[in-house]
Amino acid sequence: MSKAAKSGGDHFTRWLVIGMVSLVVLTGVVFSMMSSSTKANESFAALKGYTLAEPVSATLDTAAGSGLVLNPGGAVRIDLWEDPQCPVCRTFESSLGEYIDTLVRAKKATVVYHIASFLGSESIRAANAMMCAADEGHYLDFHQSIYLVQPALENSGFFSNENLVKIGDMIGLKSEKFTNCVTSGSKLELVKTHAASLPTYKVQGTPTVFINGKLWQRASNGFDLSEFRLAVEAG
Amino acid sequence: MKRLHEKYQGHITLLARLVLGAVLIVAGGLKAFVPAEAASAVAAYKILPTPLAHIAGYALPWLEIAIGLLLIIGISVRMSAIVSGTIMLLFIGAISSVWARGILIDCGCFGGGGEIDPTKAAEVHRAYAIEIARDVGLALSALYLYFFPYGLFSVEKLANTGKEI
Repeated sequence: MSKAAKSGGDHFTRWLVIGMVSLVVLTGVVFSMMSSSTKANESFAALKGYTLAEPVSATLDTAAGSGLVLNPGGAVRIDLWEDPQCPVCRTFESSLGEYIDTLVRAKKATVVYHIASFLGSESIRAANAMMCAADEGHYLDFHQSIYLVQPALENSGFFSNENLVKIGDMIGLKSEKFTNCVTSGSKLELVKTHAASLPTYKVQGTPTVFINGKLWQRASNGFDLSEFRLAVEAG
Repeated sequence: MKRLHEKYQGHITLLARLVLGAVLIVAGGLKAFVPAEAASAVAAYKILPTPLAHIAGYALPWLEIAIGLLLIIGISVRMSAIVSGTIMLLFIGAISSVWARGILIDCGCFGGGGEIDPTKAAEVHRAYAIEIARDVGLALSALYLYFFPYGLFSVEKLANTGKEI
């Protein structure tokens, strides 16, 4: 290398190159962010025309990890552990969610939801929002919506407080109380309590289902509605 | 030995440039068009706070592409070598860190990424080792380019004919 190359011209080239690289990176970042937000808007489309069902009040079962109890005093008790970001929970919800909803609404079973949040900060935020929805009497609606819009990837930035409020807004949870609860993280302590219940119940993954305190071990690969129905009816 | 190196230095520099540049372009290109995945992959390392991780996930692929192109064309090779060397060191550090902390992730090196099934621990640890070895190799190429940036078929050398080598 010669010292002659370090002339003024060389400096100019260097800054030109740095400038060009910065420009490429900046354009790329803007492009990436825009395509991400388009994708988010596509997910929201799944909620178009959603109408809130009848409210169902939720209480906390302090004896069982503060699980959210829907329809207490039913003939059968179903305990569910789910993480809002877990893709298999989405499959579970799409196969069995409707049936579980009817069990609650027709007062055929007590359903206790335990919200796991081990998949990262976005699970914690989504869990907080789900608990806020429970206070409004619309846990089931919000829970269903979360899985309708769930992105394919975890922690991709989708479950921000802003988007969680938007999900609520789209399905009809517009109260200021709900919005404040989501944005200020009012339920974070409860989220922790729920998370702590996993080891207590030896829950190693989600979704995990207990029927009358007994672990539901499914025989089929997927979540088969008739198999699940038989298990619930047998108690 | 020294004379031998002098004779082939231009070829080695060219080879190092092409290899490093091609790897960066391929790795960056695979990630740049799936931004949500790249962001999620960076977040899975749990090193940066999530919002920062997302920005890194969006920016890094484009930086890789830009630096890769510079290396292949042969402009500002030394500066590109410093940047790509730093990127490789960051990758090595990040992978070692998740390995040490026992987090199982798909490194996201060539697109994809995120947390994976705990039953595949052994497989993942072997993958970590291979990735670190590959990144060390690439970092060494970058180091070589830092010391010998001028080789065959580079735009920069053409522009400075007579003054360089």
